[in-house]
Amino acid sequence: MINARNIKFSYDFSDGRHRSLNGTTFSVKKGELAVILGHNGCGKSTLMKHLNGLIELQQGELTVNGIDASDIEEVWKMRRCAGIVFQNPDNQFVSSVVEEDVAFGLENYEVPREEIEERVSSALKTVGMEGFEKRSPHMLSGGQKQRVALAGVLALEPEILIFDEATSMLDPQGRAEVLETVKRLHSEGKTIIMVTHYIEEAVFADTVWFMHDGEMLAHGTPREMLTDPELLADTGLDAPLAVKLYYDLLDAGIKLDHCPLTNEEAAEEICRLKSVMSR
Amino acid sequence: MKLTNMTGLYVPAKSPLHRLDARAKFFGFLILVAAVILTDTLYGYAIIVAVTIALATMCGMPLGTAFASVRRLWSVFIIIFIMNAFFFATEEPIWHWWIITLSKAGMLQGFSVVFRILIIMVLSNILTLTTPPMEITGAIQLMLKPLNLLRIPADDIAMIISVAIQFIPTLLEETDTIKKAQIARGARFESKKLRERAAAFLPLLVPIFLSAFKRADELAMAMEARGYRGAKNRTKKKSVPMNGKAWLALVLCTAICAAEIII
Repeated sequence: MINARNIKFSYDFSDGRHRSLNGTTFSVKKGELAVILGHNGCGKSTLMKHLNGLIELQQGELTVNGIDASDIEEVWKMRRCAGIVFQNPDNQFVSSVVEEDVAFGLENYEVPREEIEERVSSALKTVGMEGFEKRSPHMLSGGQKQRVALAGVLALEPEILIFDEATSMLDPQGRAEVLETVKRLHSEGKTIIMVTHYIEEAVFADTVWFMHDGEMLAHGTPREMLTDPELLADTGLDAPLAVKLYYDLLDAGIKLDHCPLTNEEAAEEICRLKSVMSR
Repeated sequence: MKLTNMTGLYVPAKSPLHRLDARAKFFGFLILVAAVILTDTLYGYAIIVAVTIALATMCGMPLGTAFASVRRLWSVFIIIFIMNAFFFATEEPIWHWWIITLSKAGMLQGFSVVFRILIIMVLSNILTLTTPPMEITGAIQLMLKPLNLLRIPADDIAMIISVAIQFIPTLLEETDTIKKAQIARGARFESKKLRERAAAFLPLLVPIFLSAFKRADELAMAMEARGYRGAKNRTKKKSVPMNGKAWLALVLCTAICAAEIII
């Protein structure tokens, strides 16, 4: 679906030394949920903006759904097949009425008026915001705003959904709402890329990518990536709570059978350990 | 929520004014504004006040909402009134000192200027309270259409206006946040001394400007990401011809305007 090879990019055109992307190689398969983890300023957002042509390719190769990013003529096609939900929900709205805002993208692609209504209401239904059509986005909670923004992207029926730190400005409940929607869309077969610095959000990914200083350090399944303390230390990320617990217990001389990833798994492991010990 | 109501931003409801065709509302508004400007007699004033109050009642908002933004500007109104009262005319002075002349004509002029601004503000509040921004954009687009012949990008201008309107509550909220942050660090917005107050506003202005630019940048990015390439190549609004009610409203507005001129 997405193939990026050795992308280099610098915002500063005068010299190519301060690169935001320094030879990034990255790929996503159809139907995959890929999570990119990294600190602020590691180039995550810059990479995402490449994926739908918001930033022109300077060096390297990139194809998105078979479209070559170096072909400027194709940029609108590319933009339509990869939709982005951005970080700040307030800075994405063009209208103070939810349904008008969701329709914005469709109007841009000159979708016929009759079809727009249908697609807007189905997009709002998908994100669980039906009944809010006439409301103002300003009067919604953070999680609701972000779901409306997502509906605006979904209405265009993109092949790929990109969440560029879409949960980082939300309260825990808003985050949970958005993540729930992401999981559901993934189970329905959408290709999803999530950029985040919350390591807990990487747990349910198919593939986790660690990004650092404009390069991909490593990638693999969440279990491979998130339970490796050395790798985490290299990236400068904190391990998920359950993984930390595992290593703390190990230090204390207690070995669990498997390294848990989520709190639920950790609880299970500990219960199992308890039943083994009491036997 | 309070903020959004105060700025006269669209509030969804089902009043007759809400249901009226946006084009009729917009052009009716322009006609009424013309009426306000053209009228010059006491009867004329009375009619226009009656019309405005009737409209405000019709839109189903408490009158206070329609007048809220006007209330905050009372000091500006007083200044306008005083300037007119003291400087408008030099004949028949009631009181004269140096270059200042208080005259009856000046006071009348001051009153009528303040009155007109007030009525126009309330009318525009009623318009924006009852019409979704995108529909206002549509009406503005219609009005600016002839400009396209002069190669002026009328569609883009209409889009800019509607997005700008839509960002007012966000920026107001932000102003409030920054203001509180500054107060927490000892800024004195409430100081009686004009100089201190002015000095306190500068550190407020800079961050608001910066953040407005940042927001504009992000919004532009988000709009492009959703395929915006200028307002021209977009799905056109359903071009429904205006219905009988809409025409009736326009005829009524024109009649009011004509009445104002005749009286």
